[in-house]
Amino acid sequence: MFELGDQHRMVQDMFRQWCERELLPKVPSLEKGEPPYDLMRQMLDAFGMRDALRASLKKRLSKMGDDGKPLASGDAKGKEGDELESAMRDPLISFLLVKEMSRISPGYATSFGVSTGLAGFNVMAKGTKRQIEKYGIPLVTLDKVGSWCLSEPGSGSDAFGSMRTTAKKSADGGYVLNGTKTFITNGPFADVFVLYAKLDKGDGNPNKAVHAFILERGMTGLSTGQPFDKMGMQDSPTSEVFLEDVHIPAENLLGEREKDPDAARDDTRQNLGHERSGIPAMCLGIIERCYELSMKYAKERVQFGRPILDFQAVQLKLANMYIHYQNVWNGVMRLAWAAREGKPDLAFTCAQKVYCAKAAVEVAMDSIQIHGGYGYMREYHVEKLARDAKMLELGAGTTDINLLQVVRLERERLT
Amino acid sequence: MKIAVIIKQTPDTETVVKINDAGNDIVGTGVKYVMSPYCEFAVEEALRTKEKLGGEVVVVSLGPDRVLETIRTALAMGCDRAIHLKDPAYEGGDGQATAKALAAALKTVSPDIVFAGKQAIDGDQSQVAVRVAELAGLAQATIVTALEIAADGKTAKATRRSEGGGEVVELKLPALISCEKGLNEPRYASLPGIMKAKKKEVKELKPAELGLEGQVGAAGAKAKRVKLLPLAERKAGRRIEAETPEAAAAELVRLLREEAKVL
Repeated sequence: MFELGDQHRMVQDMFRQWCERELLPKVPSLEKGEPPYDLMRQMLDAFGMRDALRASLKKRLSKMGDDGKPLASGDAKGKEGDELESAMRDPLISFLLVKEMSRISPGYATSFGVSTGLAGFNVMAKGTKRQIEKYGIPLVTLDKVGSWCLSEPGSGSDAFGSMRTTAKKSADGGYVLNGTKTFITNGPFADVFVLYAKLDKGDGNPNKAVHAFILERGMTGLSTGQPFDKMGMQDSPTSEVFLEDVHIPAENLLGEREKDPDAARDDTRQNLGHERSGIPAMCLGIIERCYELSMKYAKERVQFGRPILDFQAVQLKLANMYIHYQNVWNGVMRLAWAAREGKPDLAFTCAQKVYCAKAAVEVAMDSIQIHGGYGYMREYHVEKLARDAKMLELGAGTTDINLLQVVRLERERLT
Repeated sequence: MKIAVIIKQTPDTETVVKINDAGNDIVGTGVKYVMSPYCEFAVEEALRTKEKLGGEVVVVSLGPDRVLETIRTALAMGCDRAIHLKDPAYEGGDGQATAKALAAALKTVSPDIVFAGKQAIDGDQSQVAVRVAELAGLAQATIVTALEIAADGKTAKATRRSEGGGEVVELKLPALISCEKGLNEPRYASLPGIMKAKKKEVKELKPAELGLEGQVGAAGAKAKRVKLLPLAERKAGRRIEAETPEAAAAELVRLLREEAKVL
């Protein structure tokens, strides 16, 4: 459980080789705003994963009821002998990919993760068979670019309470959506928007349930803003999404079933947990790379007649990085185990998200310190990693909100 | 078509190697090993040949346990099976002793075409591929940047890089092709490939099974490395002191012309 087996090591090597050879040279142009999606498709093709995913998901589709649930229970684990099938569902392999992308570009990893993991995963998990076929599979294989729209200009940490985007029932049985979403990863280029809105049934009930809807670019009334200029994650295009009387048919309600407020809220929470479980693997990539680059630099950089690694001030920083590195690895391994065993633990996930994001920022900043003035230069990779790392303390729920959630859950558990 | 590819595991180009106390080898611990980059071109060309003309690709490599990882990489890229020449007796050989073992192993495959890197990036001797071709009685083209194999699998046309230009040679198969950068873009091992690689056959062959007892490794070597020389330390740069920028520029041009002789 604490060590990668031979196959996982080979998979990690394959991801690393590609990211260092193909992604690293592209980072400057991606940071200047070049869309990353063709590169992502090339990446999945290089790993033979795009076709394999498509084939595997189509197979799953054929064994699915109209509600999107498997017809026969008990084959969730995949059949013996179908190693590729189980590799595709292996959370550790997903985490390794996220880690390796994040060693080079956390922004690229974010954009990839939101499209395939958040938008794609959501539709795969909650969609009906028809929605999985039309949106889920194309999102997971990157045939379509996806975004996941929750935050609004006036609704961040208080995501549900302050949400103002509404979906009103229309006469034809569909919905009319109005509102503005912001900080939407892939917003400027997305084909598909998995978007949260409060369902207004027109009955005057103030307690409106939050539901997820599937929107597509090209729908009348849907538009997106210019890419934001950000501190980091510049290679992850982000924008606002505007909705002005966007009419959608009933079949674009994710899951095609209206829910009461509590059930709808639990659903969305579950997705947030999923979003948060990807962050530690990103942090691991940042920490691993910063730690390696710092060690290398400290060995090579000579001041006062000796490598700076000989100085205890530098050694202590590296030791601290090592502690974070090992802790984050252990946490990622546990999250992979929990996902594989079907034992999600939201309190642990939130706590791990907080710890890993803080550790990533600390390690990246210390790495710049060890590199001195060079660390502040864009040419030295730690500069980008530090800028990107900070976002991980803000996105997927800020540090504070995640901590509050830990206590809320623990308070219930320990009564 | 029977296709064989010879590969070598070498230290990663980014690894900083240390010379051992005896001064004749590198220190193995802490070294990251990879497939020699020219061997990647060879594997890729072997796979493309199979994709075009059908058949089977057999990987052959010589070296200790750790080499299995590189063999698995080749299998994950798509090669069908492997032969691993693994025995302490194979160690310490020169180009001739290694080539003898590889040529004997190839005989068990009877390939129509053999691919190899033009050189390994550790010893840089460029000896093994040409010696294998010689010992196995194969036609050969070295430093190949383009290759066309006739549809009937009987002949091939290879473009070779030579000093300042190139040449095109026609070969009768069976032949050995030593591969140069530019021949192709090697693929990455794929996820499906990695999953399949574990089940593919890796056959170990000992010197006795090749009828080469006492003829391979150090025992079969005719040349022996006695010393490794570290890279010379880079000299410090030189600073030009002058009264005016014009004078400094004139002095720089003089030095570039007369001392560095680059102008």
